[in-house]
Amino acid sequence: MAFEKRPGDRNGEIFMPIIEVAGLTKQFRTKVKETGLKGSFRSLIMPEYLTVKAVENIGFQVEQGEILAFMGPNGAGKSTTIKMLTGILYPTAGKIQVLGLNPTRNRRQLAFRIGTVFGQKSQLWFHLPPQDSFRLLAGIYEIPDREFRMRVDYLVDLFDIWDLMRIPVRKLSLGQRVRCEIAASLLHKPEVIFLDEPTIGLDIVVKQKIRDLILLMNREERTTIFLTSHDVGDIEQLCRRAIIINHGAVVLNESVKNLKYNYLNYKIIAVKYSRPVSIQIPGIVKLKEKEYETAAISGESMEYAAKIAVDTKKQNLQHVVNQLMGLGEVLDITISDQPLEEIITAIYTAAPEMNANVTES
Amino acid sequence: MSTAVNPNPKKPSVIVSHLRLLAAYFRFNLAAAMEYRGSFLLQVFGMALNNSAFIIFWAIVYSRINHIGEYGFREVMFIWALASAAFGFAHIIFGNIRQVSRIIMQGELDAYLLQPKDVCLNVLCSRTEVSAWGDLAYGLILFMAVWGFAPGEFLLFCTFTVFSGLLMGCIMFSGEILTFFLGNTTVISRLVTEFVISFTLYPESVFRGTVKWLIYSLIPAGFIVFVPLKIFKLFSWQALGLLILIDLGYVFGSYLLFRLGLRRYESGNLIVGKL
Ligand SMILES: Nc1ncnc2c1ncn2[C@@H]1O[C@H](COP(=O)(O)OP(=O)(O)O)[C@@H](O)[C@H]1O
Ligand SMILES: [Mg+2]
Repeated sequence: MAFEKRPGDRNGEIFMPIIEVAGLTKQFRTKVKETGLKGSFRSLIMPEYLTVKAVENIGFQVEQGEILAFMGPNGAGKSTTIKMLTGILYPTAGKIQVLGLNPTRNRRQLAFRIGTVFGQKSQLWFHLPPQDSFRLLAGIYEIPDREFRMRVDYLVDLFDIWDLMRIPVRKLSLGQRVRCEIAASLLHKPEVIFLDEPTIGLDIVVKQKIRDLILLMNREERTTIFLTSHDVGDIEQLCRRAIIINHGAVVLNESVKNLKYNYLNYKIIAVKYSRPVSIQIPGIVKLKEKEYETAAISGESMEYAAKIAVDTKKQNLQHVVNQLMGLGEVLDITISDQPLEEIITAIYTAAPEMNANVTES
Repeated sequence: MSTAVNPNPKKPSVIVSHLRLLAAYFRFNLAAAMEYRGSFLLQVFGMALNNSAFIIFWAIVYSRINHIGEYGFREVMFIWALASAAFGFAHIIFGNIRQVSRIIMQGELDAYLLQPKDVCLNVLCSRTEVSAWGDLAYGLILFMAVWGFAPGEFLLFCTFTVFSGLLMGCIMFSGEILTFFLGNTTVISRLVTEFVISFTLYPESVFRGTVKWLIYSLIPAGFIVFVPLKIFKLFSWQALGLLILIDLGYVFGSYLLFRLGLRRYESGNLIVGKL
């Protein structure tokens, strides 16, 4: 056996790896089709294949009770990795152990002990209300009747989905559906939960609700959580450690504390004034500014909008916002994180040796 | 997968738990169908009516000639009744059978792979086709109308229905899971189904040469209806046993093909690169 269970010691805490991955690789072969009839014909006789390296030589460990964020821009290989960890896809190469089991060889045994939610793919029966889906799932996971009823009561309460239980899933909003999906994935008390972009496409309020639930789940039952996302907010609020991948390879595997200090220190402020002002705050970077006309009730007028970056290592965010508010009548102000793509660029430029490593492979 | 040793004594064995799942799906789907009782009955009777056109066709044919090979009117009605009942049985228990190719292509197999049950059974049985009840009822009634009701014969016919249904199902299933190996195979899969159905509807002597070979191999209409008819007319336990063994061989073969294909599952290979 490639892996040994070796309880370790980190900061005085005993830890036990629950997910272990080494040299994990997945390649897809897609048929390349030329346009036109001639192309179709040729691809039928002599198909040409294009190899897509979705995941390349990834290795990491996840400890019991941990919430780990697996971050990366679109197409980085996050979903492919989750699909291999849960036994959906056969890896091209590499080793995986989840709860000491091999996901492809012991798929059914593993399925009893893990839960999985895909933000973009429903696992509930589309035409059935969640209540019926839950009942079928109880059969599939062999949950005894009494236990099942207690569990449903508990989860329905926790996720606040009483009123949704009788509505067919296809009629639910995305946020409502995701809440039901997560509740469904918890019915059989899994030890590890895999969440693939659970907050994608949700508005801020619902996103926050889902994040709170994920934290609660982790605290109440000490469930290990493996979460993918391309939303920086997810890492900041949920995790102690994040792995960032790009083009199928691990770019960074670091505690969120360090990550925050080194790379998440920029906040982006977008602000709009009722008339042109001049922003002169020392230490900030002005990314964009614009004056434009609007048709107000009292005739033509000029508004002004700007986007600035604040380095929170050097500047107090509160202080900067206060100064901005003092400049004039503010119509709108939003503070957001730097997009993940820019953070990855920053990581590359900050660690050139790592950069060289990645492009060489 | 072998899970002969049961680690948890409180949990039922793998076979029992799978049978329970099938029963649960069955109850559930039937209840769902009954909720739309009007549409259920319409579909069932619609199917029976549709099938009756075929009887009229053969009645006209046989009013002019007495025999086609060894087949008289009653023989043709036997294979037609058995094909219909077997088709119905296959689609009642394996309701998803003709969706499998699409399910694989659109990556919908993911949901089944995440559940702790045999993927093959789970996919096939999670749905039922309502109109299939019409096919089954029609086949049984037609048999009794033409051959009378002798309990022994009826029981034999039911046995044929079950095993021919399994065989018919696993041939269609094999046509569907070619998708694992060849990508989009909607056309091939549909063709396999059409072949299986149409080869079981004509007297055996119609098929000659290569086709005759085909109906005892790739499209085993021979084992689905013609051999059962022979056994029905000249019964022997050995022949029946051998037929059942052959049927189960096909079932096992298609199951193996599925497991092999599963390794190549791409979870959404709808994406085709265009140059
Ligand atoms: N079934 C597939 N066939 C071919 N290529 C695929 C398939 N699934 C994913 N890919 C490719 O693999 C890469 C990683 O995809 P994915 O894991 O879905 O990324 P992410 O979830 O991080 O957005 C992408 O380039 C994608 O196009
Ligand atoms: Mg994804």
